[in-house]
Amino acid sequence: MKNTTLPSLRRFISNFYLVLVLIFLYAPILTMMVLSFNTSKSRTQWGGFTTSWYQQMFSDANIISALYNTLMIALVSALVACIIGTAAAIAINSMKPVSRTIVMGITNIPMLNADIVTGISLMLGFIAFGISLGFKTILISHITFNIPYVILSVMPKLKQTSKSTYEAALDLGASPLYAFFKVVFPDILPGVLSGFLLAFTMSLDDFIITHFTRGAGINTLSTLIYSQVRRGIQPSMYALSTIIFLTVLVLLLIANYRPKAKPAYSETAQTRSREETAPESGTRTYLKKKLRAEQLHKWTMVTAAVFILLAAGLISIKNYAMANNNELYVYNWGEYIDEEVVAMFEEETGIKVTYDMFETNEEMYPVIDAGAVLYDVVCPSDYMIQRMMENDMLAEINFDNIPNIDQINPRYLEMSQAFDPQNRYSVPYCWGTVGIIYNTKRLEELNVAPPTSWSDLWNPALSGEILMQDSVRDTFMVALKDLGYSMNTTDPGELQEAKELLIAQKPLVQAYVIDQVRDKMIGGEAAVGVIYSGELLYIQEEVEALELDYQLDYVIPKEGTNLWIDAWVIPSNAQNKENAEKWINFLCRPDIALRNFEYITYPTPNQGAFELLDKDTQENKSVFPNLDELENCEVFQYLGDEDDAVYNHLWKEVKSK
Amino acid sequence: MSKKLLSFPYLLWMLGFTIIPLGLIVYFGLTDKTGAFTLANILAIATEEHAKALWLSLGLSLLATLFCLLFAYPLAMILRSKGVSGSAFIVFIFILPMWMNFLLRTLAWQTLLEKSGVINGLLAALRLPPQGLINTPAAIILGMVYNFLPFMVLPIYNVLVKIDDNTINAARDLGANTFQTFWYVMLPLSIPGIISGITMVFVPALTTFVISNLLGGSKILLIGNVIEQEFTKGNNWNLGSGISLVMMIFILISMALIAKYDKNGEGTVI
Amino acid sequence: MNQPLIDLQHISKSFDSTMVLDDLNLTVKENNFVTLLGPSGCGKTTTLRIIGGFESPDTGKVLFNGQDITHISPNKRPLNTVFQKYALFTHMSIAENIAFGLKIKNKSKAYIQDKIKYALKLVNLDGYENRSVDSLSGGQQQRIAIARAIVNEPRLLLLDEPLGALDLKLRQDMQYELIRLKNELGITFIYVTHDQEEALTMSDTIVVMNQGYIQQMGSPENIYNEPENAFVADFIGDSNIVPGTMIRDELVEIFGAKFPCVDKGFGNNRPVDVVIRPEDIDLLEPGKGSLSGVVTHLIFKGVHYEMEVTTPDGYEWLVHSTDLFPVGKEVDIHVDPFDIQIMNKPASEDEEAIGVNE
Repeated sequence: MKNTTLPSLRRFISNFYLVLVLIFLYAPILTMMVLSFNTSKSRTQWGGFTTSWYQQMFSDANIISALYNTLMIALVSALVACIIGTAAAIAINSMKPVSRTIVMGITNIPMLNADIVTGISLMLGFIAFGISLGFKTILISHITFNIPYVILSVMPKLKQTSKSTYEAALDLGASPLYAFFKVVFPDILPGVLSGFLLAFTMSLDDFIITHFTRGAGINTLSTLIYSQVRRGIQPSMYALSTIIFLTVLVLLLIANYRPKAKPAYSETAQTRSREETAPESGTRTYLKKKLRAEQLHKWTMVTAAVFILLAAGLISIKNYAMANNNELYVYNWGEYIDEEVVAMFEEETGIKVTYDMFETNEEMYPVIDAGAVLYDVVCPSDYMIQRMMENDMLAEINFDNIPNIDQINPRYLEMSQAFDPQNRYSVPYCWGTVGIIYNTKRLEELNVAPPTSWSDLWNPALSGEILMQDSVRDTFMVALKDLGYSMNTTDPGELQEAKELLIAQKPLVQAYVIDQVRDKMIGGEAAVGVIYSGELLYIQEEVEALELDYQLDYVIPKEGTNLWIDAWVIPSNAQNKENAEKWINFLCRPDIALRNFEYITYPTPNQGAFELLDKDTQENKSVFPNLDELENCEVFQYLGDEDDAVYNHLWKEVKSK
Repeated sequence: MSKKLLSFPYLLWMLGFTIIPLGLIVYFGLTDKTGAFTLANILAIATEEHAKALWLSLGLSLLATLFCLLFAYPLAMILRSKGVSGSAFIVFIFILPMWMNFLLRTLAWQTLLEKSGVINGLLAALRLPPQGLINTPAAIILGMVYNFLPFMVLPIYNVLVKIDDNTINAARDLGANTFQTFWYVMLPLSIPGIISGITMVFVPALTTFVISNLLGGSKILLIGNVIEQEFTKGNNWNLGSGISLVMMIFILISMALIAKYDKNGEGTVI
Repeated sequence: MNQPLIDLQHISKSFDSTMVLDDLNLTVKENNFVTLLGPSGCGKTTTLRIIGGFESPDTGKVLFNGQDITHISPNKRPLNTVFQKYALFTHMSIAENIAFGLKIKNKSKAYIQDKIKYALKLVNLDGYENRSVDSLSGGQQQRIAIARAIVNEPRLLLLDEPLGALDLKLRQDMQYELIRLKNELGITFIYVTHDQEEALTMSDTIVVMNQGYIQQMGSPENIYNEPENAFVADFIGDSNIVPGTMIRDELVEIFGAKFPCVDKGFGNNRPVDVVIRPEDIDLLEPGKGSLSGVVTHLIFKGVHYEMEVTTPDGYEWLVHSTDLFPVGKEVDIHVDPFDIQIMNKPASEDEEAIGVNE
C-alpha cells in the first residue's frame, strides 16, 4: 500500500520490523554457528576458539552416514514424490468436481494431520504389513508426506495451462505423450520444481515422522541429534549444520547475483523499461510471476548443487562399507562408547558394525519387542534386562566365547544377580550410583548447607534451583528413598505417598531433564541436581578446564540410592549371535574397557581396566564409591507390566500438576 | 480415460500409507491389549492428567497461533509492499532456516534463554535483572512461534500478493482511510490465507512434544508428550492411539474450516 | 467560473531513475471530457494516478478547483476513479460494492438503497443488487465499476483505460454509454486510452502524450486536422508525412512539385515536414495534378478504396478515395491548399520528443 503521508516514517517502521523478524529468525542460527567454534562441549560456557569440531565431523562415521541418509532420503523422496504427485495432479485436474474434492481431501490429510499421528500411523502400518523398519520405511514415509506438497504446487500451474495448446500439438500430429512433454510439461515445470524444492526441504527438516519410522542403524541428522540431546549435542553437529547452512546461503547468493542491465539502452528498450516501472498492475503481476519462476529454477539448481557437493563423496564411503556381509547390529545408549573402539573392533574382526543408539530403556524395549529391527547385542539397564528376560526376549550367552569375562570384578557379577540370578544373560558394562550434584558457591549464596539427604531437595530455599531426572523410576526412587521405602515397592499406599511428595516438590523444580543435568550444572544454571555418578569425572574435568569460579561436588544421600548396572545382552532374535559374543569379549579387554572408561567416564566393572588407572582416579570416591560403606542401596528390579503402568500413571499425574 | 490412470499410483500409495495406517490407529484406539473392543482409550482423555494436558496444549497452541498471526500479518503486508524483489526475499528468509535442523534451532533457543544464556547476558550488560525465561510456558510458546511462523507468513503473503493494487486503490479512492481499507478490503480478501495459516500453525503446535521437552524442561506435560510417551516409554499403543483419535477431531475441524474458507486453495504455503 | 477544475503545474515524476513525466503542465475545465492519449509508457496513466493521489509527484503541484491537493491522500480527494481492470471487491455483492463509498461516508441506509437503485438503473443493470462479482461479464463488471464511482457524486471522474479489456462491439456500445453518462451527470471526465479512435469519438479535448511530454492538446478536429508534429500526425489516424521545402509563405515544394498551401511564417527555402491525410489526396487523370505517379496497390475497404501511389522519387503515398483506380494506372496527385499541414523539422531527437509543450 502506498501512502503519501509520511512515507519515510512508514518505511522506517516497516524496515525496523523486518529487521526484528530477521533477528528473531536468525539469532538461534547464529548462536549455533558460534557454538561450532567453541572448545567446550557445553552450550553455555565459552571455552575458547577452535576449528577442531570441523575436523572431527569428517572423521565421525556416524555423522557422515547420517548426512548421507538425510540427503539420500530427501533427494529420492522428493524425486519419487514429484513423479507420483505430478501424474496425480494431471489426473485430478481432469476429474469431475465430486471426485476431485474427495481426492483433494485425501491429499490434505498428510499436510494437516499432526506429524506425531502421521508418524505413529505409518509405524503401525509398517509393523502390520511386516515391513521391517529401516531406510526404506523412512523413505516411504517421506514420500507420503511429500506428495501433497508436489500436488499442491503443480495444480495451480495446470489450471493456468490452456487446454488448446495441448490440442494444438495433437492437431499438428504429435502423439499425446510427445505433446505432453513438449507442450504441457514446460508450462507446469516451475510448479514441479517448486514442489521438488519444498519436498526436499521438508524431508530435510523432518524429525517427528522419521523418529517413529526409522529402524536399525539408520539415523538421519534429525534423529542423530535427538539421540544426542539427552547427553549433550556433539559440537560437530553444529559444525555440520553450519556448513550446510552456509553452503546453501552462498549458492543462493551466487544464483541471485544478477549483473546490472547493460548500459547501452536502445530506444525501444528504454520505452519498455518505462512501461515496466510504471505501476500498471498487469505488467507488474506478470513480472512478479516471471521472477518467481526464475527464482524456483535457481532454487532447484542450488538444491542439486548442494546434493552433488555433499553426497558424491559420501556414496563411495558408503559403498565401501556396504560391501561387507559379516555383520553386527549394536544397540547402545547414545554417547556410550568411544567411536574408535567400534573402528578397532571392525578392523580386528572384519565384522561390519551397524551401530544404533537409544535414549531410554523404555524406548529401546518396544523396538526389540516388536522385532521390527533385529539387533544382535543391546546394552539395557538392570531392571530392563530382568523384564526382557522374563518375557523370553534374551538369549543365553555362551561364555566359552567370552574368555575376557575373567577381567570383570566378581563383585559386580554378584551385584548383577539382583536381576540376572545366574549370570547367564548379561555381562556388566558400566555401573554407578545416583546422587546429588551441587554447586558449592551457589549454595553459599543461597545460604543453604551442602545436601546430605534426599530431603534436602525439598528445601524451599532451593526454589527453581533443582534439576530432577526426567524418568519415572529415577524420580520415584528419590521420593521413595526419602520416605524410607524400597525403590522397588509396589505398595499402592507407599507409591501414593511418593507421588504426593513429588507433587509437593514440583514448584521448586527448575526442570526435569536427563543428561542435560551435566551441561546445566556446568553452566551454573542450577544449584543442585540428581545425577548419575558416571557424569562426574567429565564434569569435574570440564569445570577445571573452563576455570569456573565454582565447584561441583557429589554426594550419595544417606538414605541410600540406586546402584545401577548397564550390561550387554543378546536378544533371542539376534541373527549374528557369535559376532555379538565377539563384541562383548572385545569390550571386556582391559585396554578397550579403559578406552571406553576414559571416553564415557562412567565407572567400569572391569578390574583389569581399573588397575590401569592412575591413583587419583582410583581413589575418587564420587566415581568409585566404597561399596561396603553404602547402605540401603538397591538395584532396580522389573516390576511387571501392571505395576509399570501404575508407575507411569502416577508419573503422568505428577507431570500434569 | 487414460489421464485418470495417472492417479492410480497415487491413490494406491495414499491407500497403503495414509488410509490404512490411519485405520490402524482407529483399530488400536478402539481395542484393548487383548484386541477386544473398548472405548476406554478414548475416554481416557477425560482423566485428570490427560484433560489437563489437553487444555494446556490447547491454551498454549492457541496463544502461539494468535501470536503467529499478529506477527505474520504485518510482516506479510510489508513483504507485499516490497514488490517484485519480495518473492526472492521471502524464499530467502523463511525457507533458509529450515536447512538448519529443527532440533538444533530449538536447542539454540535453550542457549539463548537459559539463566546464564545469551539473553540474560545481554540484560546483565545493560544492568537489568536476569529473567527466568527457560522452562516456562512462555518459552514453549516462543518455540512454537519460532518454528511455525513461516507456515503463517507464507499463506497470508501468497493471498496478499494476489490482491490487485488497484483493488486497494479503489477502496482509498472511494474514501476509505488506511484502517478502513485494511478492515473492509484487505482483511476479508486474505481470509483464505489466514485460515490456512491458522491450521498450519495450530495443529503442529497442539501436538508437539519436542518443543515442550526442550524448552519446557519436561515440567509441562502437553498432549503430544502423552502420546509420545505411551508409544515410546509406556508401551501402551492402545492408549496412545485412543488419544491420537481425540487429536484427530481437531484436525478434522481444521480440514472443514479450510474446505469452507479456502475453496480455491489460494492460501497454501507454496 | 474561469478557474480550471484541475490544474497540474510543473509535474515531474520518475521511477527508479527513469523519467516518466517531465515538467508537465495541464489544465482541465469543469464539465469537459478530456482524454489522455498516447502509446504505452507515455506517462498518461501516471498523470491520472497523480491526479487520483496514488502517486505523488517528485516536483510540482496538483490544484483542484484552485486548492492544492498534492499531498492529500486519495480517500480525501473529491474525485473518483474507474480502474483498468475494474478492481471490484470480489468478496462483496454488487450492492455492497456500490454502497462501499457511501457507507464510508456514513450515509443513511435509505439513502444508500436509493443510490444503488439509481446507479444500477443508470448503467442499465437494474436488479443485479445481490449478484456476485464473479457471475458478471466483463462489460457488466465495467458498468458496476462506473456505478460504484458515480454514486459518490464526484465532480471529477478518472477513467483508466476502462474499455481496454472489452471486445470491439461492446467497446463501441460502452463509448456511447459513457458519453450519455457524462451528459446526464454533468461531471468532468479525465479518460486515459491508447486507442485514438476512442479518443476521437468521445472527447471534448484530447491531450496527446509521448515519453512524458504533452505533444499536442486540442479538440479532436484540431488534433486530427492540424497535427503539430510528426508524432501526433503519425499517431492519430493514417497520414503521409513527407519532407518538403517552404519556398515562401503559402507555397511548399514536395519532390520537386509545388503545392499552394495556407501556412505562413516558416521563412523562405526552409526544409519542413508536410502532413497530408490519405483522404485529402485527390487522384486525377495524368497531367491534371501537381505530382504524377503510378497506382501500385489497391484494397477495397468498404466505404472507400485504399491505394498506394508510387511517385518517381520512390515515395509510396497512401490514398483513400471512393473512386477506383486500378493497379498500374498512371495518375496525378492533387491536394487542396487547406489540406496541407506544414510542420517544422525537428532539430534533434530530443526536440522531437519534447514537441510542442504548451
